[in-house]
Amino acid sequence: MGYVAVTGGQAAIETANSLTQWYRLKDSDRSLKVEDIEHQMRQLINRVMGEGGLYAPEYAAIAVKQAEGDPAEAAFLLRAYRSTLARNYYSETIKPEKMRVIRRISSSFKDIPGGQILGPTYDYTHRLLNFDLRDEDHRDALNQILDRLSIDPKHKSEKLTFQKVTDLLRAQGLVGNPDPQEQEPFDMTRQKLTFPASRSARLQALSRGETGAMTALAYSSLRGYGAVHPTIGELRVGYAEVAIAYPYDEKESLYIGEMMLTEVETINSFTLNDDGAITFRLGYGLVFGQNETKAIAMAILEQSLETKGKSPTQDEEFVLLHIDSVEANGFVSHLKLPHYITFQSKLDVLRQSQKISVEKKKNETRDFKGQEV
Amino acid sequence: MTEMSKRRLSKILVTSDLSLLKKISGQAETLAEIRVERAPQTSLVMMKAKDSVSTQPFYMGEALVTECTVSISNTFGIGVVIGEQPERAYRMAVIDAAFNVGLPIVKEWEALLITEEARLVERQNMESARVSESRVNFDTMGEFHDQH
Repeated sequence: MGYVAVTGGQAAIETANSLTQWYRLKDSDRSLKVEDIEHQMRQLINRVMGEGGLYAPEYAAIAVKQAEGDPAEAAFLLRAYRSTLARNYYSETIKPEKMRVIRRISSSFKDIPGGQILGPTYDYTHRLLNFDLRDEDHRDALNQILDRLSIDPKHKSEKLTFQKVTDLLRAQGLVGNPDPQEQEPFDMTRQKLTFPASRSARLQALSRGETGAMTALAYSSLRGYGAVHPTIGELRVGYAEVAIAYPYDEKESLYIGEMMLTEVETINSFTLNDDGAITFRLGYGLVFGQNETKAIAMAILEQSLETKGKSPTQDEEFVLLHIDSVEANGFVSHLKLPHYITFQSKLDVLRQSQKISVEKKKNETRDFKGQEV
Repeated sequence: MTEMSKRRLSKILVTSDLSLLKKISGQAETLAEIRVERAPQTSLVMMKAKDSVSTQPFYMGEALVTECTVSISNTFGIGVVIGEQPERAYRMAVIDAAFNVGLPIVKEWEALLITEEARLVERQNMESARVSESRVNFDTMGEFHDQH
């Protein structure tokens, strides 16, 4: 059956909106600064931008403030806002191999050329609540941290750009050769996602997928509900330059800024080719900001979708349609909105069934009595 | 200076202190009539990335940008920058138009822009130097026992 609209409730809805604002502020004596959210809630901002599909740190911070910290609601706000804007440019292909790295590790190769750099990470910290943060003074804390971060003079002019491990493997013939013909990517913001989906469509859907959903699905694959359990060939986090074509001279390009990205290349398995050569089977993840778990989950899921089998993570419709934050949260939360006609019709069907059942029983009793007579 | 590529110029203008942009674009404003062709407005840039596995491109998401177009004597200049930065986008467009139309003053900007570029490199190097201190060389337990 179709949907039936409801009417009325305008005053109550307006009051509910005001109440939301009241609950956002009532127990505080100051309003959160958007700037503070943007710069000190880095991980949340990265997540919201990624799931909203829009790199806009300041707007993500406003969305987080407006949504009282709910990443799903914030991603929804960001994606809704995005739909009001014109898209006037496409970037030149981003080159993570040229990124200014702040972190680069490999769990497969101990001695990757250029070395491993831990950078900012929680990987090796004790999960102990730091009560000092309660009364943290920004300037004092920053000065203390900078005192601890000594700089070796010989590193002062070191450029932290590294060749990708994949490129090194490819040069050694350990990774299959690429298709030299570049194909136009699928764009799910302009075209309806249909199945089977192209690889570019899958990657786009995964890149803006919800971190938690993707992590859960990737975890299921690791635990045995699937065929993918990789090691990390390389994980890098850093600033990648973004440029567009210069409109008045096709030979020139215009730098428009840099954005932080996390890129992951996983090594899934080895393949013995017909010619006897062994090549690695890789997985790929690339996401906005520093969001390592999501990038790894993306690499696991995209490879899982390349395999055949009956586990949920090998079903592209299941994976790609259920990892979208806005779709999933929107659909589940829409159940709170009035469904009176839907529910009433279910009750009508139930009552009708009851009536038929009662009448049937009566008839059976009558027939039985009739036989007795 | 006219040899400076648009990529290099725009990188300096995107990253430099806004006061420098105000200063030099202000000079252009006094020397030439600036016509605003498209006032600063926010729009989107779709980010194209390359998948390492297939080496084929895919779209990873969009970035919010502010863009502005101006002209000097019918010669256009453009400013596009990530984020909501209307003032910077306008100043960038004026400077770009000044270069394109060949205002003589642009020769005087060279030293300022190169100094600003050097500041950017220094800032980035400082960050990289701090990050470098977390370089790690894990030993496997076998190697550790061999050494001790």
